[in-house]
Amino acid sequence: MTPFTALLSIMFFPAGLSLIFSGMLYEWVDRKLVARFQNRIGPRWFQPLADTIKLLVKEEIKPHGLNSLLFYGLPIVALTGTLTAALYSPIFGLSPIHSFPGDLIVTLYLLSLLTMSMGLAGWNGSNRFSLIGATRTLTQLFAYEAPFLLALLGPAIAAGSWTIKDVSIYAGSHWMIFSQPVGFFIALIGLMGKLELPPFDAPEAETEIVAGALTEYSGRGLALFHIGKSVEMVVAVSLVTAFYLGGIGNPFLFLLKTLVIVLLMAMLQAMLTRLRIDQTVGMWWRFGALLALMQILILVIIKGWLV
Amino acid sequence: MTTEIHLQRAGELLAPFAKGTNNPEVNRLDVKIAASDLPAAASALTDASWGYLAAITGMDHGLDVNELEALYHFCEGAAVTTLRVSLPREGCPEIPSVSAQIPVASFFERELSEMLGVTVVNTPDPSRLFLPDDWPVDVYPLRQDFKQEQAASVQPDPTPEPGRVGNKFIVPIGPQHPALKEPGHFEFTVDGEIITGARMRLGYVHRGIEKATEQRNWIQNLYLLERICGICSHTHTSAYSQGVEKLAQVEVPPRALAIRELVAGLERIHSHLLWLGVVSHEAGFDTLFMYSWRDRETVMNLLEELTGNRVNYSICALGGVKHDIGTEQSATIHKALDYLEERIRYYLDVVTSDTTFLQRTRGVGTMTRDEAIHFGALGPTARACGVNRDVRLDAPYGAYKRFPVSIITDERGDLEARFVVRMKELLVSCFTIRTIVDNMPTGEIITKFPRKVPAGETVSRVEAPRGEAFYYIKSGGGESPTRLHIRTPSLCNWTSVINKAVGHQLADAPMLIAGMDPCFSCNDRMVTVRRQADTKTLSWFELREYGIKKYGQRK
Repeated sequence: MTPFTALLSIMFFPAGLSLIFSGMLYEWVDRKLVARFQNRIGPRWFQPLADTIKLLVKEEIKPHGLNSLLFYGLPIVALTGTLTAALYSPIFGLSPIHSFPGDLIVTLYLLSLLTMSMGLAGWNGSNRFSLIGATRTLTQLFAYEAPFLLALLGPAIAAGSWTIKDVSIYAGSHWMIFSQPVGFFIALIGLMGKLELPPFDAPEAETEIVAGALTEYSGRGLALFHIGKSVEMVVAVSLVTAFYLGGIGNPFLFLLKTLVIVLLMAMLQAMLTRLRIDQTVGMWWRFGALLALMQILILVIIKGWLV
Repeated sequence: MTTEIHLQRAGELLAPFAKGTNNPEVNRLDVKIAASDLPAAASALTDASWGYLAAITGMDHGLDVNELEALYHFCEGAAVTTLRVSLPREGCPEIPSVSAQIPVASFFERELSEMLGVTVVNTPDPSRLFLPDDWPVDVYPLRQDFKQEQAASVQPDPTPEPGRVGNKFIVPIGPQHPALKEPGHFEFTVDGEIITGARMRLGYVHRGIEKATEQRNWIQNLYLLERICGICSHTHTSAYSQGVEKLAQVEVPPRALAIRELVAGLERIHSHLLWLGVVSHEAGFDTLFMYSWRDRETVMNLLEELTGNRVNYSICALGGVKHDIGTEQSATIHKALDYLEERIRYYLDVVTSDTTFLQRTRGVGTMTRDEAIHFGALGPTARACGVNRDVRLDAPYGAYKRFPVSIITDERGDLEARFVVRMKELLVSCFTIRTIVDNMPTGEIITKFPRKVPAGETVSRVEAPRGEAFYYIKSGGGESPTRLHIRTPSLCNWTSVINKAVGHQLADAPMLIAGMDPCFSCNDRMVTVRRQADTKTLSWFELREYGIKKYGQRK
């Protein structure tokens, strides 16, 4: 890979700009589907783009009494984290641009960077809604993170590799949704927790704490957080698709598979009532984590048996 | 018959304190007592579980008589016992608080003290409830000698509200907050996610309606009072016209009464469906919100077809109703009700069987029957705790004798029970509406109404979708009332919410507030402040000139 093509791949395709735009399209699909399930019309296809442009041109208001470095830096860190995670992920069904042993763990942590930035952003300030929102964001992070990680470790153990590329290639010949249905289910729900979609939207429950951790954000900072979230959706959905729904391959087919996951998530969003933060944590640790652990245990035992 | 027994018993209970008794109407007993006897008299009634405190009406009899009067209305069934306390007008009139025996009195006493300048001794919270922060001290809008110039705005206390108490945060909800559809202000002290204290402040949508009624004639007031509330506008007009008709001794044709009950039923359907949407939105279940509001359009369209209006139906007139209902419209009503009944049954199923939704409602905000009675809860909030309290049955008014409704109660007292009670009430309403449409009495829909109403006073009670609406109307024999006092159900239900919120999670607070179906604009209707800096009075022509100039400049 020449420096020029490397730069091209990072800046434009498949990472960089194309990722941001596809993130917006995924966001639109999600919003439109939920709207149709709720008997609403829903936004037009360019609405997320229009929202982003509007936010970018708006004035950014910095409240008194908070750390400027953190206030302006955190949105950038959040977006950078998710964009970097894309480099190791099989987005659009293409083989990851970069790969090294153990990149699965690094990618998952890069994806958590967004949530942690949001937590910090809420904590950095004197707004009571942001503080409570930040507490909830971080509490929720501890709830879904471990089960989600375990759910993605399942395929990795089956493939016998910690590299996303290798797992994806292995998954190409083994549809793991059938061999590990519990893992797929947990990964799907974990994804919704990660993206703070209903019913896991307690950290930004508007009827209680306005916009949660991001209450004080406006303009550019808010836009960057939003883009970060859309990108995270693409990356995480791609990961789950590659691991559980037949690995990398035909980009068109891959796109369809990711859309099926988005459809499932939209249905769940429309069907469920927001959980209180204690209910979320209780649910994940009482059921999610245990089920994921059990599946890993069974996998390890079977694997040991066969070898 | 029972009413007479109730009144007789109240008379016996109050006999030790009575300085004079009077029966102004068959169902009413007025007992004059001294201010110092008030707590004892209130205890005598509450200890014997005689009714509940419905309202405290403050009145100024003017400079000539030199007397203020506070009326404590207690209701039991159709019987109304009024304790009348006379107070001197000059100096600092003092009255002892009854909040210790009757918690809901706290709100009424705050209203009494800020509106009439009566010092309520030992009231738990003497701060302002309705009047704005920049209202001048020692100016009381309901005194007869009040002049509008006195209401010049003053600099409010500039100290910002505290952000925390010790190491506990105070989370402000409102006046502007996504959880509230109307402005109100709540302060929840939280320890982590648990609420340890709650306070509230109302008055952000004051319009000075009670005072304004004194300057308008009987007919004009009908239109003014209709605008108290955008949800239960018919409740207010029907309560008002019913009271005024009683004063004027005008017999309303039965057909008109039936049409009033029909519109009240439709209003209940639209109000409860609106509530269902709001609460499910608070719970984060937007799908139910969208669905219920879509179906609410059916009843809104029906109301528009019957009355010509969607919000302020303006069907009531003094002496009858304005529009008749024909056979063609009956068919439309039946058709719309077919659809609504099917949907309401579906929602009843959803709110009692959806697991995630039940996690947010079952066992949340549970109130026992005794607590509901103690806090003075009304309407579906009380009925969900097993309290049989419904004016439509206790004191049948209008056509409710001819077309009675059945009462729905539930023993559980939590949020789920309130959903169940409201949805079942809708099915009852649908049934009643069908009965009325099929058995509509024949005859006129309106009778002639005099311009002047004979002197006298009366109490008019109507069951609004949220509970009992209480009207006190006093006529001096002229073209406009001398005093009109309104107590809406939301004001009584606040006490239970504020008390029950403590110990719950912050996440439950919006649902607890919405669970009693609060109506802020009903509560707030008293006074406006004229801010001198940013207002000016324009005549119609000046306004027209101003508009032409302003929009001309934009080109």
